[in-house]
Amino acid sequence: MLIRSLFLLGVVLATSPAMAAGPLQVTSQVMVEAKQRAADGTTKIALVPAHRVVPGDRVVFTLAYRNTGAQPLADLVFDNPVPKGVAYRAPVPNSPAPELSVDGHRYGTLAQLGAVEPDAVTHVRWRLARPLAPGASGTFAFQAVLK
Amino acid sequence: MFVKRSIALLLAGVAAAALGGGAAQAQTPAAQLTTAGTRIDNTASVTYSVNGTSQSIQSTTASFVVDKKVNFTVVTAQTGPTVVNLGDQNVVTTFQVTNLTNDVQDFLLDPDQQNISLGLFPGSDNFDVTSLRAYVDSNGNGRYDAGVDTQTYIDELAPDASATVFIVGNVPNQAGARYAYNSLHVIAAAGGQANAQGAVLIGTDLNLAGADNIVDIVFADDDSDGALLGDIARNGQGRAYSGWHVAVNNVALSVTKSARVLADGLGSANPKAIPGATVEYCLLVRNATLTTGATGVTLADVIPGHTTYVPGSISIGTPGALGVCNINGSVEDDDDNDSAETDGYTAAFDGIAKKVTVNLASVSGGGSVAASFKVTID
Repeated sequence: MLIRSLFLLGVVLATSPAMAAGPLQVTSQVMVEAKQRAADGTTKIALVPAHRVVPGDRVVFTLAYRNTGAQPLADLVFDNPVPKGVAYRAPVPNSPAPELSVDGHRYGTLAQLGAVEPDAVTHVRWRLARPLAPGASGTFAFQAVLK
Repeated sequence: MFVKRSIALLLAGVAAAALGGGAAQAQTPAAQLTTAGTRIDNTASVTYSVNGTSQSIQSTTASFVVDKKVNFTVVTAQTGPTVVNLGDQNVVTTFQVTNLTNDVQDFLLDPDQQNISLGLFPGSDNFDVTSLRAYVDSNGNGRYDAGVDTQTYIDELAPDASATVFIVGNVPNQAGARYAYNSLHVIAAAGGQANAQGAVLIGTDLNLAGADNIVDIVFADDDSDGALLGDIARNGQGRAYSGWHVAVNNVALSVTKSARVLADGLGSANPKAIPGATVEYCLLVRNATLTTGATGVTLADVIPGHTTYVPGSISIGTPGALGVCNINGSVEDDDDNDSAETDGYTAAFDGIAKKVTVNLASVSGGGSVAASFKVTID
């Protein structure tokens, strides 16, 4: 039992060395859409690690979270400033839509913010309505374009 | 009839409205693209509460480095071929290179003679200019200045900036020369060091995984010359075509010779051609081609038998009227040694061959020059 928990801890440290040892682990990842040609000649869009990204490419930022503690965590708010040089586009399919902000203070949908272009978005924010149970996890992700 | 006409008008109006609809999507200016080498970091801050106590943490940081998207255009910056004359030195065709890369770039210039006729101009390629060079317009005045525009590659061209490039050459004195096609071949090279020619860019193999924290090179240049050969999309090279046209291969030069008796030694009001009389010969040179000057015109005239040349009588100048050969004529000496001459006209008399030679540096398009000399009848 002790060995196992040490082993788990080792895995956590290996994947995210910069992570604080708190009960909530949040990992940010970035992938880029790449056209891949299949053997039958069709092209499909695949997500690959963002090794080669040039202006105009679509990138996907992902936040993966997990409660590693023994207690439920309440009132979770994930605030993700959109990196400079990147233009927000949309939530990825299967991800909850974030609240958007163009100033970091007021959050809402684009329509609520005065129907601005998605280019003007400076922050995205997700809130969990219910507490996160021990061991539970999930992901949020949004699409953006490198300017 | 009236009804039909109104229907036609109505339809025309609809068509015009439909055509005016689609607005083209403008391309993002290169200066607004994220510069190659920029590091993009993404971090989220998260707040939560445990048993009513607020906590906050940062997520891990996801980052990537923006790679280089090499794109540029090469276009011909003139309409039609440059019109030249045989023997012209430093004739020019003009091109423009625009950097659309998200980084500062050098560009190498490679001027080419084209020996295949590309159908750009009405005629086919039948001569080559000599000593072909390519220079950058260093002072940005759009004109080739020999000795000033000496840079042979484009140095440190910023995103969205353009450089004017000249292909320069000399037109041979080749009879029948009509068209010479040329092209400017431009190769993207590494920027970042002023006054140094960067190395040619090599695209990162797209089949290999690009390394993080290294600026990969991705070619995104289009085939800028469309239907013509020599430019392939996405290879970091571009090409545009132009050429020279010798519009006038010959000028309509005519020489009219006339003679008049100036005096017969008897003081006659109407002098006769008798022994002892002085006769003036007049050579009138006319260039009927308005657009082109004739250069290096040489006249030779052997004086008739039984006459003696009057020394120092050669005069060259503007044609006169009413029988006067020339007005404001400059008197030439007889030995071709005209060091003090500034008008471009020289002359000589060869006493052995009895020959008058007149050298005219140029007769302008549509212009005329008259040369006269005198003899006495033996």
